[in-house]
Amino acid sequence: MSPDDGIPGPAESAGAPRIGVDEWVASVEEKRERYSGLRGVALREWDRLPAAARVLLCVGLAALFPLVTSDGNVFRYGLFTLVYGLLAIGLNVVVGFAGLLDLGYVAFFGFGAYTYGILASPQYNNHWQAEAAIPVVIVATGVLGLLVGLPSRRLFGDYLAIATLFFGQAFYVFVNNANRIKFPFFGHTNLTGGSNGIAGIEPFNFFGYKVQGTRGLYYLLLISIAIVLIFLFAVHDSRTGRAWRALREDPLAAEAMSIPVNRLKLLAFVFGAAVAGFTGAIYATIATAALPGDYNVGLLITIYAIMILGGFGSMMGIFVGAIVVSSVPELLRSSANARPLFYGAILLAILVKIRPWRRLALELGGLIAFGFAVHAIASAAYPRLTDGKAIGSGLFARALDHWMLFPRNPEHIADVAYILMVAAIVIFPQATGLWRALLLPALLYSVMFVWENLLLQQIGGATRLILLGALLVALMNARPQGLFGKAYVEIV
Amino acid sequence: MNWSLFFDLTVSGLTLGSLYALVALGYSMVYGILKLLNFAHGDVYMIGAFIGWFALHALGGPVNPDFAGAAVLVVMFLTAMIGCGILGVAIERFAYRPLRNAPRIAPLISALGVSIFLQNSALLVFGAQFRDYQTFNLIGVKTYSIGNLFFSVPQLLTVVAAICLMVALTVFVARSRLGKAMRSTAYDREAASMMGIDVDRVISVTFFIGSALAGAAGVMFGLVFGQIFHFMGFLAGLKGFTAAVIGGIGSIPGAMIGGLVVGLAESYATGYLPQGSTFQNLYVFALLILVILIRPSGLFGTVVVQKA
Amino acid sequence: MADTPLLELDQADKSFGGLRVIADLDLVVNEHEIVSVIGPNGAGKTTLFNLITGIYPPDSGEIRLDGRNLVGLQPHVITGLGIARTFQTLRLFLNMTVKENVMAAQYGHTKVGVLRSMVKTPAARREEKEIHRRAEEKLSFFGDRLMGYRWDQFAYSLSYANRRRLEIARAMATEPRLLLLDEPAAGMNPKETHEITELIGKLREDGRYTILVIEHDMHVVEGISDRVVALDHGVKIAEGSFESVATDERVIEAYLGLRRATTK
Repeated sequence: MSPDDGIPGPAESAGAPRIGVDEWVASVEEKRERYSGLRGVALREWDRLPAAARVLLCVGLAALFPLVTSDGNVFRYGLFTLVYGLLAIGLNVVVGFAGLLDLGYVAFFGFGAYTYGILASPQYNNHWQAEAAIPVVIVATGVLGLLVGLPSRRLFGDYLAIATLFFGQAFYVFVNNANRIKFPFFGHTNLTGGSNGIAGIEPFNFFGYKVQGTRGLYYLLLISIAIVLIFLFAVHDSRTGRAWRALREDPLAAEAMSIPVNRLKLLAFVFGAAVAGFTGAIYATIATAALPGDYNVGLLITIYAIMILGGFGSMMGIFVGAIVVSSVPELLRSSANARPLFYGAILLAILVKIRPWRRLALELGGLIAFGFAVHAIASAAYPRLTDGKAIGSGLFARALDHWMLFPRNPEHIADVAYILMVAAIVIFPQATGLWRALLLPALLYSVMFVWENLLLQQIGGATRLILLGALLVALMNARPQGLFGKAYVEIV
Repeated sequence: MNWSLFFDLTVSGLTLGSLYALVALGYSMVYGILKLLNFAHGDVYMIGAFIGWFALHALGGPVNPDFAGAAVLVVMFLTAMIGCGILGVAIERFAYRPLRNAPRIAPLISALGVSIFLQNSALLVFGAQFRDYQTFNLIGVKTYSIGNLFFSVPQLLTVVAAICLMVALTVFVARSRLGKAMRSTAYDREAASMMGIDVDRVISVTFFIGSALAGAAGVMFGLVFGQIFHFMGFLAGLKGFTAAVIGGIGSIPGAMIGGLVVGLAESYATGYLPQGSTFQNLYVFALLILVILIRPSGLFGTVVVQKA
Repeated sequence: MADTPLLELDQADKSFGGLRVIADLDLVVNEHEIVSVIGPNGAGKTTLFNLITGIYPPDSGEIRLDGRNLVGLQPHVITGLGIARTFQTLRLFLNMTVKENVMAAQYGHTKVGVLRSMVKTPAARREEKEIHRRAEEKLSFFGDRLMGYRWDQFAYSLSYANRRRLEIARAMATEPRLLLLDEPAAGMNPKETHEITELIGKLREDGRYTILVIEHDMHVVEGISDRVVALDHGVKIAEGSFESVATDERVIEAYLGLRRATTK
């Protein structure tokens, strides 16, 4: 490590500047011109709208949702989308604005839920009004964020990630066991209900008006999101927001321009924690309980996926991200929905990726022929590979029976196939030219085999997180700035 | 003072510490070269434990192995290490290399994605149940003692094997051409590539070695604690990283000492601190925070001016 | 006050590893002076700036602004006390607009906190207006180079010369008394170089700044300097008027000696 790493060198040997030359500027301009055609017009108009109008437009659209569908659908799709969305908005302040990797974020969410639970549940014999409890929850979570952030103050880089990840784990251990800690002076205190959590958490009670029922909660969340978003847009274009963006661009230059970088990072961290705590309180009234298992790494990944899909620093993209990430797995729960989504996604990927059309037709034809060939050989030589049936009913499933292999006991074969498939996907990019064209049908067939025989069976469990994990990796590879984020120019 | 408890805790602390040290090495080496937190490292360790288990069962299982116990052990270690090494190289190729010039946070999130992918793939393929190494059947229940220190065979094996691996690694890094290339790449990647060092290859080798060490640690975990499960990589990864930070990230001897410190601290916390067996992870967390506060560069680390 | 110099380095010393980059350096900059620092590559010029702005502390010695010791203060505090700099390597906030760059640099002398700007209190609106006004004022300093439609352009879309100008505007926005300019003419064509020479003069006359500048272009140095300081290997080898320094034997040797060594 050279002594001057990352700061303008002590020796004036920077060499020829790479930025600023005409070609470089031109390449950047070219990037911006990508928004052309109808999409470009729409995007530019969207960018021109004032922030409040954009928020109102989105919120207004979302407000229509309960009017057109059943309570069950609002609960399944609406509530969780909004909870995740609000969480992602808060996380966006920490990661998107200030560039801090906060991996203990869900612990703040949990802390908010527990704090509200302690303030408003028969278990602790507290029945606070919401107008008093919510500020307490927000401030308490903010203070906790401050306490967690302070030790990492000097090391707001990668160490923050590990310290917060550890903090999330510590929180889990704590709430799981804090029912039998012996405190000096107080003796045994049941602080969190241990592994049973807090049950019977009461709905928000604003001056005697109780917010409950699916629709009530939905609109409560929507109003909360609108308020938080409007506040955040105001902050974004304020002195603090500019300072946040500046320090994300270049912490050293920001510091040299009179911006107290560490204090502002801490502020962003606390801000995010407070939003998470607030969301936690709302979530507690939805679930009417606070359970230690609800605030796990899976949730963390979900929130990150939403934020990244929406694009770092892009607050409105998060709406789209939240809808995609929380609704798709819900839709996936039944094979009738999951199958078209899966095959549709594959078809779309092929359509986008493979050109010209003739090659596309050849590949698709190859895939279909490959399937029938494999099926024919298998049913002649190893009938037990084709004895099973595709999940579900309908024409497509029955057609699949004649094309795809369905072993009678798919467990072991599918497990092995899964590992082989992952290996094949990793190796595939190494293949070139003709090999690539020839191997693609086989690869696609193996993906579909694993999908039909393993992933679709586990659709409610591991599949969701596997897809999310793969999505994160793929998205970072394709668009590091997130799906809806603006392409950032960085000096390498 | 109850000396026999103290010695027991010391032995289990040393064993744990050896595991953490091996995991920490992978973190530290990768961080030294790429300045990247490889969140998936803990899950590579978990995969290593499963590869070991499958190797054991492919050779006839712990009760009736096809060969002598020692030969089975060697095969288990070798397959786990090679398998994890390849996995590590693949992860780097697929998830990190395309992102080398992306914003700094992108590879971290990619790493998070790989971690969750591996964890749930294991859940999908291996199931949620615990798998048992049945070590007692494989290598017996004999314990050895040095004075008051009582070692079980797997514990002794773990500590000795870990020491051997670390010595081999130290010699490799200090002496071999590739090791020297690794050190110069860690020092200044750009300069190294200008000196004709194939940086991509060096990075691949680093991932291979780091992941192989994690794989070995995974098998050791299975031998010492008997049971393995798909989620075991998460905590081990956290503690391995804690060990790397405490020792001074980027420093190889630091990772070894850091691992021992974390292992012993956890073990003593279990025995001596209030509600230690419940809260031992909290105590390790406190230790991490303490080190970050007092000596942010770790025990062996040099002060690094922060980049971003 | 005429007795206390604005900036004073007293036996400042800095080493990296075994390499002594700044060696017991004494340096004085008086109010309203323009002082140029010259020297071959590796002479320690940028390190000098990094020491003054607190990016790293000196190993020993003192650095005083108006008699107040700056050693140990954080960079943003030092900037707040009245020292602002530009970067030789150009470190603009590339994904912010031209105007936002200048607005962001006003953080230190504005006050409205995050809660008040969240709900846009009247005080917050007033201050925001003032920030806009001052940003426009600083940008107008550069004629029409950074005016009009350029306000809302992203910094990355600027040409090289405009980036240098924006760096200076951003530094001005921190309301400094002392401006440190690190090679303001680097990478510019002769016309732009001439412009920047005039601009630096104007900065002193109209902006009332004291200026310490690192520059390689001897025409610029000749055109602007009240006094020139020559560094080599962290040691001050000459100081005085441009003519006396430019003809100093040790300075010539430092430049030629280096050239001989590199062309060998």
